Amino acid sequence: MTGPTDRAGTEPILAARGVSKRFPGVVALDRVDFDVQAGEVHAVLGQNGAGKTTLMNILFGLVQPDAGALYLRGVRVHFRSPHDAIARGIGMVHQTRRLVPAHTVLENIVLGHPRIRGVLNLRAARAEVEALCRRYGFAVDLGARVWQLSEGERQWVEILKALYGGARILILDEPTSVLTPPEVKTLLAGLQELVRDQGVTVLLVTHKLPIVMAASHRVTVFRSGKVVARLQTEEATEEALVQHMIGRDVAFRTVERSAGTGHPLLHVEHLSAFNDRGLLALRGVSFALRAGEVLGVAGVSGNGQEELAQVLAGLRPASAGRVHLDGRDVTHLSPLERWRMGVGYIPAERTEVASIAAFSLVENTALTYHFDPVYTPRGLLDDVRLSRLTQHILATYNVVAPHHYVRARHLSGGNLQKLILGRVLSRRPRFLIAHLPTQGLDVEATAFVRAKLLEARAEGAAVLLISEDLDEILSLSDRVAPIYEGRFVAVLPREQADAETVGSMMAGSRPQETRLR
Amino acid sequence: MRLGRHELILEPRPALPAVYAVLGAVAAILLALVLASVLFLSADAPIFAAYRTVFSYAFFNPHGILATAHRSIYLLLCTYAFLVPLRAGLWNIGLPGQVYAGALAAFAVPFALRATGSAPALPAGVLVALMVAAAAAAGAAVGGFAGALRARLQVNEILVTMMLNSILVWLVAYMIKEGGPFMGATAEGESFTLPQPLYAPLLRGVPFTALLALGAAVFLDVLFAKTALGYRIRALGENPAAARYGGIIPVALSLFVFLLGGAFAGLAGYHYFAAVPGVYKIPGNYGYYGDLGFYGIISALIARGSSLAAVPIAVLFAGLSLGARFAQGALRLPFGVDYALLGLLMMTFIASHVLYQFRLTWRRVAAEAPAVQAEISRE
Repeated sequence: MTGPTDRAGTEPILAARGVSKRFPGVVALDRVDFDVQAGEVHAVLGQNGAGKTTLMNILFGLVQPDAGALYLRGVRVHFRSPHDAIARGIGMVHQTRRLVPAHTVLENIVLGHPRIRGVLNLRAARAEVEALCRRYGFAVDLGARVWQLSEGERQWVEILKALYGGARILILDEPTSVLTPPEVKTLLAGLQELVRDQGVTVLLVTHKLPIVMAASHRVTVFRSGKVVARLQTEEATEEALVQHMIGRDVAFRTVERSAGTGHPLLHVEHLSAFNDRGLLALRGVSFALRAGEVLGVAGVSGNGQEELAQVLAGLRPASAGRVHLDGRDVTHLSPLERWRMGVGYIPAERTEVASIAAFSLVENTALTYHFDPVYTPRGLLDDVRLSRLTQHILATYNVVAPHHYVRARHLSGGNLQKLILGRVLSRRPRFLIAHLPTQGLDVEATAFVRAKLLEARAEGAAVLLISEDLDEILSLSDRVAPIYEGRFVAVLPREQADAETVGSMMAGSRPQETRLR
Repeated sequence: MRLGRHELILEPRPALPAVYAVLGAVAAILLALVLASVLFLSADAPIFAAYRTVFSYAFFNPHGILATAHRSIYLLLCTYAFLVPLRAGLWNIGLPGQVYAGALAAFAVPFALRATGSAPALPAGVLVALMVAAAAAAGAAVGGFAGALRARLQVNEILVTMMLNSILVWLVAYMIKEGGPFMGATAEGESFTLPQPLYAPLLRGVPFTALLALGAAVFLDVLFAKTALGYRIRALGENPAAARYGGIIPVALSLFVFLLGGAFAGLAGYHYFAAVPGVYKIPGNYGYYGDLGFYGIISALIARGSSLAAVPIAVLFAGLSLGARFAQGALRLPFGVDYALLGLLMMTFIASHVLYQFRLTWRRVAAEAPAVQAEISRE
């Protein structure tokens, strides 16, 4: 792909220097330098939690950096809010739509525009937007109601809205996550035109490698809050990008293998499920899992891992396929019945799903014990037992908390995760689903969580470890299943799962095949 | 808000001890009274005499204190009707409708059993018990209708309960108007009057519903703090995704909280129309009592979901609204002083809540970004 190479070396249109951002318990960005050249599609690549969205929010004024500076065309700028960024020609299209469904396309485009304050002159606005559409070659029915549009068209409305607001630098956060493949194609082609013909600069935030390869001129790869690579896309390969994303920092620590010793506990056959947008995200996954075994599901996020975990936990219906636990068909059991049967689930979203911020640690412990007659005799909460259990978990799992009646919102991410882990493991699950169990944790907490997962395995639990961290997968798993676009590419014994093989399968390469696309 | 190089920001406050919440409430009451002085001054009424009239009628006058008790019971029951679904994160805006349903069901019992005359067919005690049960059941049915739609079909409970209010208000109108089944003997757009044996038993002049209201205050706080069911309802209200993760089934709980909340509103309807001495009928201005039920929403919100904390708030609302109405007549104050006082109280209570959770801070604005014009900060 050619484009801004002739302009390479000139002053960047937008740059960040030494930007750091810390959230409670997490360093989201660590002294990041980042620059964008005018008139390029610049892909920003990284796993969940790598810091890419935080940086984009800083560039758009949504988040204030703790340290560092932003430069726009060489001039230092300070964005206190998105208003400031928009006034300087930066527009952002968020991952979730921010349109009014009942309003027309035109009304949505002019909504919030600085000039539309008191009186709304829709006729004049329509003429302006129509001129804009002609200039950028968009064919949108301005009178259509937004709820009538497809997801792809809505995204164009947001892009148009940003351009009408005067944006010359367009930030698109995961723009393809909700689109069907033909919509993705249209989007990428349209963005190319915007860049080539109109000189707009596009920042494309994504974790999808084919999108990066197909649509960008340059790519910056983030990992754990740092920039780990800056590449010209034509010089990059999907395999190389995966290696950058997942990293190779830690020496692999091999653990004692136990594969094949336990009895087969879980049988999953052709399991499929839809995601929240109604697209088929999990496409016929099959595997068996023995007691005392860790199966590591390795993949770049958004390839069906979330849906796999939720279907197995009973939180999302399976659209096809069967799950047998210990010979019993559990495909349609509720989460409650699964907890009772010894399924344990550690979700990736520890604040949104796995805990209740306003509840005390004792009440959070009760989240997986409120149905247990030992802890709720005759329907009454046994405060004494629950407190004792919570204190036991705090002590055993090294949770740092002032006391067990503090609210969960006051715990750091690592301590909250250790509490959740302890709560789930204290039920001694026979089958444990651990989704991104160490995401965003510091080195010490990560090592602790991994050690506890191995302990559970040693005690005979069957563990499904879903992770984006290849080191984690390779150091904990007895078998490895790379997942790509909702399918297991293969299920490899640990001996055959080296970083290169798994990494290329995560990028979509099948065994005995060099490239899928 | 931005002024020159500084801006005023509302930022979350670290958790304060609960005693500050109580102090804040007291300050809110005092501030509301100070603000209400403007109303009295504008009417050329002596301020202290006006306040003395309000308070002495509401809390010291033998007539006033009974009226305050009757209204407090009503407001408390309405408060629970809103509070129980609120703990599950659901909004019951259907208090008037459920109140009317309770009232209609209570009057339907003697009507159906031909006990509207002076010689009832069944023992009076049984009939009163049936009336109470029917009122609670009818309120629960109307509330449960919204709850079932919410649980099964994800229909917005706020819209459904509000629309049910309209339906029930016209149903009452049909039942009590001239020619309606519950028409009173005088044909003045009121229902028939209950025969004396069916009057609710009184304890020191206050109907037994006071025991229900106070008992429920204890019962609900215990339910939410100590039982697994209460825990599940609170978990659902605080974080539905986490509740589902923990095996809590939202469908049954959404229905349950609306059944229970509706039952309380039904009891409130029984209380006001069938148990308060001197009423014992559905009067033509029944809509006034329905609207009064909305103060249950405010007191549940101010009490932050605690039924015991709602007791003093409901008593205060009841007393002030009655005292101000009395003072309005006694001192020839402008019409609507009672509602104005309640409105001011609501505003100062809510402001004290905001200030309990947030604080105002002045912050110096960084000197860069000269091209950006002054504007209202969004954060």
